Amino acid sequence: MPYVATYFDGYSSVPHTTELKLNAIQGLLLFDAPYKTDVSWKIEDISFEKYGNLIEIRNTLNKKEIIKVNDGVFTVEFLKVLKDNGKISLYNRFVGLGFKVHLSIVGSLAVLGVIFYFVLIPWISEKAVQIIPESYDTTLGNSLYNEYRSTNAINQDKTLALNKFASQLRLNNTHPLYFTVINSQQVNAFALPNGNIIVFSGLLNAIQQYDELACLIGHEVIHINQRHSMKMLCRNLSGYLFLSVIMGDANGINSIITNNAHNLQSLSYSRQFEKEADEQGTELMMQNNINPQGMTTLFRRLKSNEKTIVPAFASTHPLTDDRISDIEHLIKQKKYHFEKNTELESLFKAVKTSN
Amino acid sequence: MENEVSELKNYKLDFHGKGSEFFGIVIINWLLNIITLHFYSAWANAKTLQYLYGSTVLNEDNFTFHGTGKEMFKGYIKLFLISFILIGGCGALFYFNEITAGIAIMYFSMIILIPIMIHGRYRYQLTRSSWRGIRFGYHGSRKDMIANYFKWIFFSIISLGIYLPWMIMDMTKYIIENIRLGDIEFKFSGKGKECFFIMLKGMLLITITLGVYAIWYWKKMIEYYLKNLSLYRNGKEIRFKSSFTVGQIFQLTVVNYLLFVFTLGIAYPWVITRSMKIIAENIVLEGEIDLDNIQQTEEDYTEEESNILDINFVM
Repeated sequence: MPYVATYFDGYSSVPHTTELKLNAIQGLLLFDAPYKTDVSWKIEDISFEKYGNLIEIRNTLNKKEIIKVNDGVFTVEFLKVLKDNGKISLYNRFVGLGFKVHLSIVGSLAVLGVIFYFVLIPWISEKAVQIIPESYDTTLGNSLYNEYRSTNAINQDKTLALNKFASQLRLNNTHPLYFTVINSQQVNAFALPNGNIIVFSGLLNAIQQYDELACLIGHEVIHINQRHSMKMLCRNLSGYLFLSVIMGDANGINSIITNNAHNLQSLSYSRQFEKEADEQGTELMMQNNINPQGMTTLFRRLKSNEKTIVPAFASTHPLTDDRISDIEHLIKQKKYHFEKNTELESLFKAVKTSN
Repeated sequence: MENEVSELKNYKLDFHGKGSEFFGIVIINWLLNIITLHFYSAWANAKTLQYLYGSTVLNEDNFTFHGTGKEMFKGYIKLFLISFILIGGCGALFYFNEITAGIAIMYFSMIILIPIMIHGRYRYQLTRSSWRGIRFGYHGSRKDMIANYFKWIFFSIISLGIYLPWMIMDMTKYIIENIRLGDIEFKFSGKGKECFFIMLKGMLLITITLGVYAIWYWKKMIEYYLKNLSLYRNGKEIRFKSSFTVGQIFQLTVVNYLLFVFTLGIAYPWVITRSMKIIAENIVLEGEIDLDNIQQTEEDYTEEESNILDINFVM
């Protein structure tokens, strides 16, 4: 059965309408061209492109000429003949699978990717941290600390008093601890991986009882003992690498998505670490015979300060209400004993009153 | 034939691609890129261009992209090696504290490299494009482009950037007027001064309206470019006109961006096909050239071009 086709001779753009026959048995395309009749192209010599129903055929022996057919029936028959002749590449077979198959392939790969990203990467980076020597934590912490110290005003007296206070606690610390008080209105504190703990004077001003301060120290020490900084670094790096490979091309929009997607994810990573520090820090205080309620009191104080303070604290830390109820839940489950520690109390007063 | 002289012909530019079709190509490219750590990207680029060209039709006949992944891969390798040598060389100079020399060499080589890349890109893309078997061509020379680029950069620097619109118009004119489609020639009559006032007004209004005017500005720019573009053959002409509406420009920019971001990139194939459709439908052609009678004039390109400075790539 002949099909209506358009022939271009490669010398001008004049379209020549012609009839194209497909001889499936001999593997031939037969048509009449202007000035030459009974042209036959062997299937093995042709190359083709398919755009929707349009088939554009060229002869690899003479690349100038083109014959085009826009007919659904021809498309089906032509593709079948090519398939029988082994002329359809793996690529074209895949492209020809259709939208539903493509969509389900992407869907199942996405599921695999999600599992990889949310389960395997955290697991791998946890393992990776065990391989990284602790001296890296020290090096990283030292350089961060030196940079921080050179740009901020240290309160020497409060620093001295706070270190005395902390030395009274048994903290199972893996690194020697050193506390530094920075003069700042911020109600915040953070731990560096080498055992340096930075506390802002604004936080010390807000705290009213010694057990709150002890609980804060407990919380920060867990960050150091559990190497949370290094874990975050490993997760961020491997997660970012994974997403960049998946998202591909370094073009602008893709990298915006990659960055933001990963930032959202690291937010929840860090929430997980905060939770760990809350729980283990509370337990550490119980072992020190300090009232674990200090932790909840501390968070209530932070909460009342939240509105006026940088939102960064609220966003990287789990919502304060959730944290308080989690800690209360933990305290109820545990047996503990605490007694008034007069030594800590007086050292706490020294922290509060020194300038 | 004589009474055809002033007869207006019908032209229609259109795009027949479908997002669901393009999706298949995008995902196989994506998978192969992941597996090959993006070494496949040149081949992926070729497949994408083949699809987009093939789906763009002028008077119901599609365009064809003949470029291959292999050619573009070599182009990428050249670009990579050049950047590697440049960065390495300047890095070494910085290391030995020759900061001034390092910066000077860096800028100087950029000013040479950029025109070489512009030339390579257009020469490659156009020699690999055809319509109804009639090849496009690019007759610009690399030497001219480098010389012009030096001139443009020089004037831009001494005028503190005010020369930029003149530079853009001159460069567009140089590139477009060296394009051929068979025996059809391309003309561009955009002027630096006109472009300057459109840009000046645009910048002022964009600032005042906090960016909202950008859509009207883009619309004006597209109109200006198309108005000044024309094709010539044997004294006959095809003129271009824009029929973009503000709503369509909004679709092409803001809506596409939001679609892309909120679907985490999954909408990419639809964003592209939608955009191509809008663009093709709003470029209006008017004139007398008989597209059924274009003559092949461009030489067949050879598969392997030996010139080391021919950087084959397409953005």
